[in-house]
Amino acid sequence: MTKSLLINGKEHTVNVDDSMPLLWFLRDTLEYTGTKFGCGAGLCGACTVHLNGQAIRSCITPVSSVVNQKITTIEGLSDNGDHPLQKAWIENKVPQCGYCQAGQIMNAASFLATNAQPTADEIDNAMQGNICRCGTYQRIKKAISDASIEMKKDV
Amino acid sequence: MNSLTNISRRNFLKNSSFIAGGLVIAVNSSSHAFNVTSDNNDELFDLNAFIQINNDGDVILYCGRCEMGQGISTALPAAVADELEADWQRVTIKQGDADEKYGRQDTGGSESIRTMFIPMRTAGAAAKEMLIAAAAKVWKLSPSQCYAEHHEVKNTQNKQTLSYGELVSIAANIDVPTTPILKNKADFKYIGKALPRHNQKDIIQGQLTYGVDTKIPGLKYAAITHCPVFGGKLKTLNKHDVLKSPGVIDIVEIPRFNVPYGSIGGVAVVADNSWTAQQALKKLTIEWDLGENQNYDTKKYKQQLITNVEQPAKFVAERGDLTQAFNKAAHKVSATYTGGHLSHSPMEPNASVVWVQKDSCEVWAATQSPADIQNVLAQYLNRQPKDITVHVTMAGGAFGRKFKCDYVQEAAALSAKVNAPVQLIWSREEDMRTGYYHSINAQHIEASLDEKGQVTGWLHRAAFPPIDSLFNPAVDRPSENNLNEIVNHPFGIKNLRSESGEAKAHTRIGWYRAVYAIFYGFSFATFADELAHKAKQDTFTFLNNLYDNNDDATQAVKIKRSKETLALAVNKSAWHNRHDLPKNQGIGIAVHHSFHSYVAMVVHVEVNNDNIKVLNVDCAIDCGQILNVDGATAQMEGAVVMGMSLALHTEVVFKDGAVVNSNFHNYPVLRITDMPKVNVHIVENDEAPTGLGEPGVAAFAPALSNAVFAASGKRYRDLPFTPLDI
Repeated sequence: MTKSLLINGKEHTVNVDDSMPLLWFLRDTLEYTGTKFGCGAGLCGACTVHLNGQAIRSCITPVSSVVNQKITTIEGLSDNGDHPLQKAWIENKVPQCGYCQAGQIMNAASFLATNAQPTADEIDNAMQGNICRCGTYQRIKKAISDASIEMKKDV
Repeated sequence: MNSLTNISRRNFLKNSSFIAGGLVIAVNSSSHAFNVTSDNNDELFDLNAFIQINNDGDVILYCGRCEMGQGISTALPAAVADELEADWQRVTIKQGDADEKYGRQDTGGSESIRTMFIPMRTAGAAAKEMLIAAAAKVWKLSPSQCYAEHHEVKNTQNKQTLSYGELVSIAANIDVPTTPILKNKADFKYIGKALPRHNQKDIIQGQLTYGVDTKIPGLKYAAITHCPVFGGKLKTLNKHDVLKSPGVIDIVEIPRFNVPYGSIGGVAVVADNSWTAQQALKKLTIEWDLGENQNYDTKKYKQQLITNVEQPAKFVAERGDLTQAFNKAAHKVSATYTGGHLSHSPMEPNASVVWVQKDSCEVWAATQSPADIQNVLAQYLNRQPKDITVHVTMAGGAFGRKFKCDYVQEAAALSAKVNAPVQLIWSREEDMRTGYYHSINAQHIEASLDEKGQVTGWLHRAAFPPIDSLFNPAVDRPSENNLNEIVNHPFGIKNLRSESGEAKAHTRIGWYRAVYAIFYGFSFATFADELAHKAKQDTFTFLNNLYDNNDDATQAVKIKRSKETLALAVNKSAWHNRHDLPKNQGIGIAVHHSFHSYVAMVVHVEVNNDNIKVLNVDCAIDCGQILNVDGATAQMEGAVVMGMSLALHTEVVFKDGAVVNSNFHNYPVLRITDMPKVNVHIVENDEAPTGLGEPGVAAFAPALSNAVFAASGKRYRDLPFTPLDI
């Protein structure tokens, strides 16, 4: 049976070693480089993508464990960069070097999908797996809070 | 020499990444006294930037300053756009490939804006005047009847307008004005405002290409493991049958390249993809001859540094009569401060793509020094620096690490061996263990106070393996130069002596964001708090007294600006109401001058048993004219995070010669859960721009130590406060 993955709505055949983490399949095989390598150990969150809408760390997820599943990467989060989080990110001028930001946004998107009205503490707890060395945390918190308010209006 | 030159008609920029056409002005700013001279020479020296207005009217600034999150690629174009009266959205910056025509392009030391501010503005103003002169020609009016506004030239005589795009081909034939007139601050449209970064939209959609994202046809992938101890070398390598594994191309030993930015030595696997390379690497059996530094143990070494500073050390500088001051002292206070090695650990680990061919060598890398890549690779490959092509990519953070191109030289070695372009990405473990670390350090201060609580004498010893040790292995302690911050401190203690304690390097030492200001800021501002306590004065009053007692006229400006910065932060904070705080809360203050700028931090903490929670930070920055006020605020917020990491959690530990830390679980950088509220206050003045990338980091740790003392009576004198237990 051909192994395949649905990534951002497009089907891709999986023809690599079973143990290859999804991260490297995305980056090397498919050349989707929006998802970043930061630590290789699930400690920093830079590699966060969605598996059936939920955040996972792709650097420690073997590609074989997610065949025939639906993956969303940062490139597929929205058509035009207009997910409420992405808009809030721009509005609040969050990024500095920007390397960790795709992972931050993907983690936040998954979190907001399950908790639409988070408290500040809940945001912190949800995001503590995502490291930022430039120190954009204050703006990340504000952007997530803003996005949750925006998303409440759309409901 | 400083000059602007109209080079629109010249050919010398071909064979670079520059696309010719339109109006092009070359900027040469080799010193800070920037005087425009008209230059008709064909030979152009020491250029560092070009401004091009192309035939569509788009403005491109080719400027060699590497973007790593500090926002330089948004700030400098804003300076050009303002004087040029351009639509800032139509002014973009391109990083030139490494080429002597762009100057060295080194980015560090918090000096890009300080050194490029006036040259960029002058170039923008000159281009505007040339466009106005061009329009005046077309309309047969005098230039004084024309004016520029938002990417167009208009005139006072009729309603006609000419866009910049329409004018460039005429302007290209006009001489550069020798005295372009710069705007008054009151007329700034972009300078000092909060323009968003150019690359934000790309970042949030995963479209920005960092060094590690480079892809070219035929690319091979590599993984490396390095010699764990500086100075060691490979002893045995058992490849087993790894070469037979599917997808594995080669196993390559990379010997140590004994130049400061050369490889420490390692073994690498080249394969068809990163994962295959990583897995194959793990199957090799490698033994190292660890070499002379194999006993390096930071716990023991730190104790030795403490011993070295707590006894007389090598004399460096002296003024006044310290002996007399100490003899007459009403009180003496002494303290010893330490700090551990730090790892830069940007989120993007070291990575590059290099393609070595017979007649070319092409590099794609995030770097803080493209010229050093050319020099090191030229030396390694036995070629000319100008034959090494370096494409500079966006950097996912750097903080000083990406100044050292060892990771690029390694990729070159691999590419040459397998005869293909190779991407080498270091694992996080390799990045953490194969660093150029911030110096481990110890300082000892003794000071005397008179009956009024004035500081009358100051003895200061410092011991740390300095950055010089990387360039000269014979260096065994900090130099007089390395101790200048003691002698030049704006406290201006009249009777002062500084001494340098022995500290040989057992690892590679490098520039780490704020460099020596990290531990000088910590010692000066924490010790000042200790002195204030002894003198039974609140620290704010005590600091002001210290500054006021400094009657050295050469330091008058530094004193004034230090005081103003401190007052701004303190007055915006809860300091004046600190006596109303709950018993286990406290506020600490610190002020430090570094990179020509002034930073004050006021930190409010709550301490429960030994658990420190930072509730709020008010910080003030005086860095003169700010180019992008949002960028400035971001830098200060980031400096708090980095200062907090190094104060509370992080140090690089060595045992048996090697780094013990391996990943973020045992190098616990700050996470969002610890982020306090940060309020940034900017000192407004008419000073020239000074450093902003680094100064903030220096003032946080002392303010935190002082806050914790206020809240709990416990005094922390080590960075991190509690040694990392690994």
